[in-house]
Amino acid sequence: MLLCAVTLALWGVFCIYSAAAGTEGRGFDYAIRQAAWLFVSIISMLLIMIVGHHKLLEGAYYLFGLSLLLLFLTLLAPKVKGAQSWLGFGGVRFQPSEFAKVAIILTMSKFFSRYPPLDFKTFIMGLGVIMIPVLLVLLQPDAGSAIVFLVISFGMLIAAGTPLKYLGSLVGLGLSAIPFMYFFLLKDYQRNRILVFIDPMRDPLGAGYNVIQSRIAVGSGGFSGKGFMMGTQSKLKFLPEPHTDFIFSVFSEEFGFVGVMILIALFTVLLFRVILAGIRSRERRCKILVAGVASWLWFQMFESIGMSIGFMPVTGLPLPFLSYGGSSLLSTFIALGLVASVYIEGGNSRHGF
Amino acid sequence: MEVLDTRLKFFLSGITLSVIVLISGLYLCQIYQGDKYIRLAHNNRLRMIRFPAPRGEIFDRNGVPLAVNDTTFCIMGYPLDLNTPEKLSHLSKVLMRHGIPFTVSDLEKTIKQQRLAPYRVMKIVPNLTMTQMAELIADYEFPHELFPLSVWRRTYPAGTTAANIIGYVGEISETELKARSEEGYNGGDLIGKSGIERSYEAELRGSPGQEALEVDARGRKVRTLDANPAIKGEDLRLTLDMGAQKLAVELLKNWKGAIVAMNVETGEILALASSPVYDNNPLSWGVSGREWNAIITDPERPMLNRAIAGVYPPASTFKAFMSIASLEENSITQSTMIACRGGLRFGSHLFKCWKHSGHGSLNVIGALQHSCDVFFYQTGLRTGIEDLIKWGRKLHLGEPTGIDLPGESGGNIAGPEWKMRRFKSQWSGGDTVNYSIGQGYMLMTPIQIARVYAAIANGGKMVTPHLHAKGYRVPENIGLNPAKLEIVKRGLEAVVSRGTGSRAGRYGVQVAGKTGTAQNSHGDDHALFAGYAPAEAPKYVAVAVVEGGKHGSSVAGPMVGQMLAHLLTH
Repeated sequence: MLLCAVTLALWGVFCIYSAAAGTEGRGFDYAIRQAAWLFVSIISMLLIMIVGHHKLLEGAYYLFGLSLLLLFLTLLAPKVKGAQSWLGFGGVRFQPSEFAKVAIILTMSKFFSRYPPLDFKTFIMGLGVIMIPVLLVLLQPDAGSAIVFLVISFGMLIAAGTPLKYLGSLVGLGLSAIPFMYFFLLKDYQRNRILVFIDPMRDPLGAGYNVIQSRIAVGSGGFSGKGFMMGTQSKLKFLPEPHTDFIFSVFSEEFGFVGVMILIALFTVLLFRVILAGIRSRERRCKILVAGVASWLWFQMFESIGMSIGFMPVTGLPLPFLSYGGSSLLSTFIALGLVASVYIEGGNSRHGF
Repeated sequence: MEVLDTRLKFFLSGITLSVIVLISGLYLCQIYQGDKYIRLAHNNRLRMIRFPAPRGEIFDRNGVPLAVNDTTFCIMGYPLDLNTPEKLSHLSKVLMRHGIPFTVSDLEKTIKQQRLAPYRVMKIVPNLTMTQMAELIADYEFPHELFPLSVWRRTYPAGTTAANIIGYVGEISETELKARSEEGYNGGDLIGKSGIERSYEAELRGSPGQEALEVDARGRKVRTLDANPAIKGEDLRLTLDMGAQKLAVELLKNWKGAIVAMNVETGEILALASSPVYDNNPLSWGVSGREWNAIITDPERPMLNRAIAGVYPPASTFKAFMSIASLEENSITQSTMIACRGGLRFGSHLFKCWKHSGHGSLNVIGALQHSCDVFFYQTGLRTGIEDLIKWGRKLHLGEPTGIDLPGESGGNIAGPEWKMRRFKSQWSGGDTVNYSIGQGYMLMTPIQIARVYAAIANGGKMVTPHLHAKGYRVPENIGLNPAKLEIVKRGLEAVVSRGTGSRAGRYGVQVAGKTGTAQNSHGDDHALFAGYAPAEAPKYVAVAVVEGGKHGSSVAGPMVGQMLAHLLTH
């Protein structure tokens, strides 16, 4: 599992170099910074493994409170590209929403194992706790993170053994809320993204541009790709945000179907190992925890890849391990540290409860 | 527990299913339709053309154009239309026929420089006039795959007269691109490099247009899919008066130095000349490395805007400040008389008055009128350096005035703390003596001197000098005692009506001001004059600093007199 993660992340550094090379020769800067973050992330992961998930689960509620505080502070910070997602801290900027994902996973796994959402009351209580961070990121506004929070929570609800009728009604509720959200909650640009998802050609210069160019990038990769640093779509600036949101398009343009298959295989093995660590564990809360981590990584992978071939609407979520961004990389590795700790314990202790 | 494991196993199937969906999607996209997308990327049917926005134009207060855009044409084309020697020699032949000297090797060179991809449009021949372009298009042998693109070029009709104010534009540099990564600049964009062009970049820039074209395999336009027109930047009307500016440049023609003229109430700049001058036109069109080097290594430093970045000892013009500080601190009154016998012995050193025979007994008005050094040595010692610095800070000495031009210097207010930091030695009484007549460590820019004199003229308000209404700031009232200020003003009137500055008063307007002669260790003394007019109801302030001009009274005084007379009579 860890090998897969590190391979993916290293590959990411190279892709960022290539992707950002188109933006006025800053590829090297970006790649170096990402490599530095990767180093920090791996160290953090090892630290988490040493500390162990027990200790962190004990402090889960405090971490949850802290990340809510940070999310709240973020709302007071200056805007970057129209959203207040960043918090500066001694010269380093980070996105509290990324760390909130870890905190949510810890808190909800503790909560659901103490109060299994088997009856209606605990189920509603659990939902209530989740809605606080969701609302905070919606205010930023960062709909992408809000959806990830919800997906993580939903995955954990499934794993916690929630009766199917509750899950079913939740899905039903969600589906029936879609028209309401579309007309009342979404901003114009978000509505546009959904419209161009249906028909990119309705606005080829504006919102549809990304989708068209990304699809061309992926498609033109063909079977074997154009080769590292040879992608024309990203180098000639046809692709916007090539090193963050559309990193997969750059990747698939340069490495082709073969590269993409390897990439997806790595992700699949990684996700399987995460789930298997949970099955192996004897602890209820650990099983719920791995479900959270898996839902998170799975959803961002599915969305990011899906978006670049026009399967999913554009949201601007990073592809785990590959997209440029220190906060995202660090929190991903912290989560993997937790899973690794669960795995190690599952192997050598037979007590549990 | 079993339920939980079942649920987790369900996750495994969910992941497998989603991966199958993704793989089939990617298969569809990359293999099944791969050829189509490869073709699309290769011929790139969708082509984006970015039009630079015309930059906002700049005018003086009366609408005289200072920076405008001339339309020129470029011949654009795709590398794949020029990939054989025959095509090149044909194009060269057609160009030569219309008097455009582009040989085959010139063409090869430009193509090689810009070649990124076969479907990337590039500039083949730049800077053609409308007539040249029209003739070329009309020529039936002109390759029809090539097309004209109108671009604009920045020209400065005022040229050298206002180059230090307007500045120039140039291609955005890599560092600027990095620093402004959030502002949507692209490589090759023009950006203000200095002067107004730089300080008002955001207003002047406009927003570039874009056109999405569908093109055929040869890159020719089939139809326009979508277009956003470019939006021209905002035109700026400056406070500058080109009549006054021309006069100022003319007055400085054979000198090095600066002239500033400003409205005393608002801080509007009417003239801001710096000599020697440079021409901003060639800089905007892109000069060669050698020419650029010649300009920046010129020992006369034409690119230094002496009006805002040249620092000089204020010399005797500082005596007006000294009078204010001493009267406000009550270390002298109007009736305080001090005897000048040609010098002041302080410690072991004799500080001379410029008039070696001495001025006799004087009050502050007489001391200003005759520019007596000894009087101000004494008042400086009575007031003390700490209080002088305190008043210096009140009048914002040692800090930039905040004029809306880049590269302003703040001068140096000096003082004991500064001397300790800079030289690791104590401030001595002798330093205070020198400070009192504006010599030594104290340094000011011409615009700072003008601001202090404006405050005297307008009753104690610190204005913010500006060249455009956007740079206006509400003047800050520093609360000077009106009666005490009146004494200083009478002193400054006496300077011109019957004192050292009489030559500033020979141009038909009532000037009040002060001469200054700054010792220069590198050559002839610098001449200074700061004054305002009309003396009884001041409207304008003007400052002249002439490097190596020897005497403020004979060289700088008449310059200020003529500037003020011009402003009040035109």
